[in-house]
Amino acid sequence: MKNAFYMASRYMRRHKGKTAILIASIAMIVFLPLGLQTVVDQTTSELEARARSTPLLVGRKGSPLELALSSLYFAAKPVEPLAMADVDRIRDTGFALPIPLHVRYRAREQPIVGTSLEYFDFRALRVADGRQMATLGECVVGASAAEALEVGPGDAVTSSPTDVFNLAGAYPLKMRVVGVLARSHSPDDDAVFVDMKTAWVIEGIGHGHDDVSKPEMAGQLLKRDGNKITASAQVREYQEITAKQAESFHFHGDPATFPVTAVLAVPNDAKSQALLRGRYLGKDERDQIIEPVAVMDELVTTVVKVRSYVTAAVVLLGISTLLMMTLVFALSIRLRRREMETMTKIGCSRGTIASLLGCEIGVVLAAGVAIAIGLTTAAHAWGPALLREVLL
Amino acid sequence: MRALALVTLFAMGGVVVGCGGEDPGATSRTRDPNAPLEVLVVNYPLQYFAERIGAEHVRVAFPAPPDRDPAFWSPEPEAIAGFQQADVILLNGAGYAKWAERATLPRSRLVVTTAAVKDDYIQIEGGITHSHGPGAEHSHEGTAFTTWLDPKIAIVQADAVRSALARAQPSKRAAFAANFDMLKQDLLAIDGDLERITTPHGKTCLVGSHPVYQYFARRYGLNLKSVHWEPDKAPDDTQWKELEELLRTHAAKLMIWEGTPNPATVEALKKRGIGSVPFDPCGNVPSEGDYLSVMRFNVTALEDALSN
Repeated sequence: MKNAFYMASRYMRRHKGKTAILIASIAMIVFLPLGLQTVVDQTTSELEARARSTPLLVGRKGSPLELALSSLYFAAKPVEPLAMADVDRIRDTGFALPIPLHVRYRAREQPIVGTSLEYFDFRALRVADGRQMATLGECVVGASAAEALEVGPGDAVTSSPTDVFNLAGAYPLKMRVVGVLARSHSPDDDAVFVDMKTAWVIEGIGHGHDDVSKPEMAGQLLKRDGNKITASAQVREYQEITAKQAESFHFHGDPATFPVTAVLAVPNDAKSQALLRGRYLGKDERDQIIEPVAVMDELVTTVVKVRSYVTAAVVLLGISTLLMMTLVFALSIRLRRREMETMTKIGCSRGTIASLLGCEIGVVLAAGVAIAIGLTTAAHAWGPALLREVLL
Repeated sequence: MRALALVTLFAMGGVVVGCGGEDPGATSRTRDPNAPLEVLVVNYPLQYFAERIGAEHVRVAFPAPPDRDPAFWSPEPEAIAGFQQADVILLNGAGYAKWAERATLPRSRLVVTTAAVKDDYIQIEGGITHSHGPGAEHSHEGTAFTTWLDPKIAIVQADAVRSALARAQPSKRAAFAANFDMLKQDLLAIDGDLERITTPHGKTCLVGSHPVYQYFARRYGLNLKSVHWEPDKAPDDTQWKELEELLRTHAAKLMIWEGTPNPATVEALKKRGIGSVPFDPCGNVPSEGDYLSVMRFNVTALEDALSN
């Protein structure tokens, strides 16, 4: 047997190209369904767990899937916003704890999530380093976001401008990082969390600027009529909220109209959940209430139909690859007929020749499977993160 | 497009359901239902109301230092962390303790005790209206915030405290209601006394040493205008001129002070025919007594001053 392995290895070394192609074919045919299954199983489990842990979401009427993706995974394009009055509407029913979410801006690639402190309690997020945000302009970052942005407590994060050509749009705001959250293995790891009020400052609803009523600001005034002052656009709006400037920050307009992209509603019990859902069934209702898990289930139902075609394609591909491999081995044996005749003439039995060929096939199969297992293990470790990146 | 990508990728691998889900309603913040409620407040009247209504079922903390005006005091982030942990956070509203507008506080545990009367807030005149850049014209004018000096509003605030405590600890609802009723009677008694004392003096011109008596004046129909004087500091020439300017159109015979005024200032006012009476708004913890005793003292002092 040892001799057979020796002879097989010599043969494979002599025909490196052919052997490599055969091993790669085996590896791929084993890895493709196995690895894909592993990656997708893991990813779907994570996605579904997130949906299952979120009882209700309220947003403006539109695509429920976009609302779920935006609010649970901080992905997809921003949805049409609600107003703070809609948050109070849920609170006033007494059926659920409303947690506002504002997901519109990013710091480089990381989503900036405006929310209230209740979100951290609800998701069981714990500050691992530093402290919880306490005032306007402070933020806490998820573990992955801290790595991606290379920041920790004491550093700063700047929001990315939405449109450099829109002078009236959102200006970048420099925010102080005061804490890094413990890893939660969820989309929260990638987020930069700020208070709703800070999110509104990024949006331009709140701002801080020099006191235009001071005598030294006279040069920047266009008109003064009693208590009515018209200042020029030269008035400096602060791009950072320091302790010194904090008092100058203020909001304009009715806070009830300030935007939120979604409301995460945590009902008191099943009855409250049903009653709250009933409140959004009106004909003229502008908002929608969704059960994220139902949205994901709906998605899965659609998936089942598509999956049968994809599964059939993978099975056909596998069968054709196996047939091709059988053909390759058969042709190989035919091409090597003279070699086998020589072996017979020098005294090799039929059994020895069979074991020699068997060893060659066995080594190729074993190498292919080993590579497939290695690839599947790698996919298990890094695949879900990669897939999330692609999907969301 | 993303949805399509999601569908396709899910389909390629099949979907396996069964990962351990979390309890939909679970939050990490849990408290012993029998433990006293941790209540944080932004001024002394709210502390007093919460202690009277909550009694042994609450632990009330008022972190502002005794020598600072709680309306303008701003806590450090560490103190804000204390507020974040509280079961109930009682705010005054009407722009009192502006730091709360900039702080990250849990909305579900935040109670603006004057929310029910927000349409009755008194706007302070004279704010600067301005515009700059592409933004619309806006004003930074403020709101009068010493709301509790109108005992009717104080009762509304106390009721908001009762409601917040009952929501946080439903099992003690009846006790809170009973305690509130007793507090309400005390506040109504003060209101009745003040009404009786001030009714004959509706047209009498009064001057406040500081603009903190707006709600008090409105409640009792008093003709009161204010200057910006401090009880422990002698007014400078500008402040005297400010008063004289005011007296030309508002012939006040009595100045109401936030604290016991400087004797020299009292004497100087007396020479101008103006009496002085302290009426402590009691925004911070009094050095002696409690909210009710301070208000009763205010009533007596005002009665004496007006009768003279």
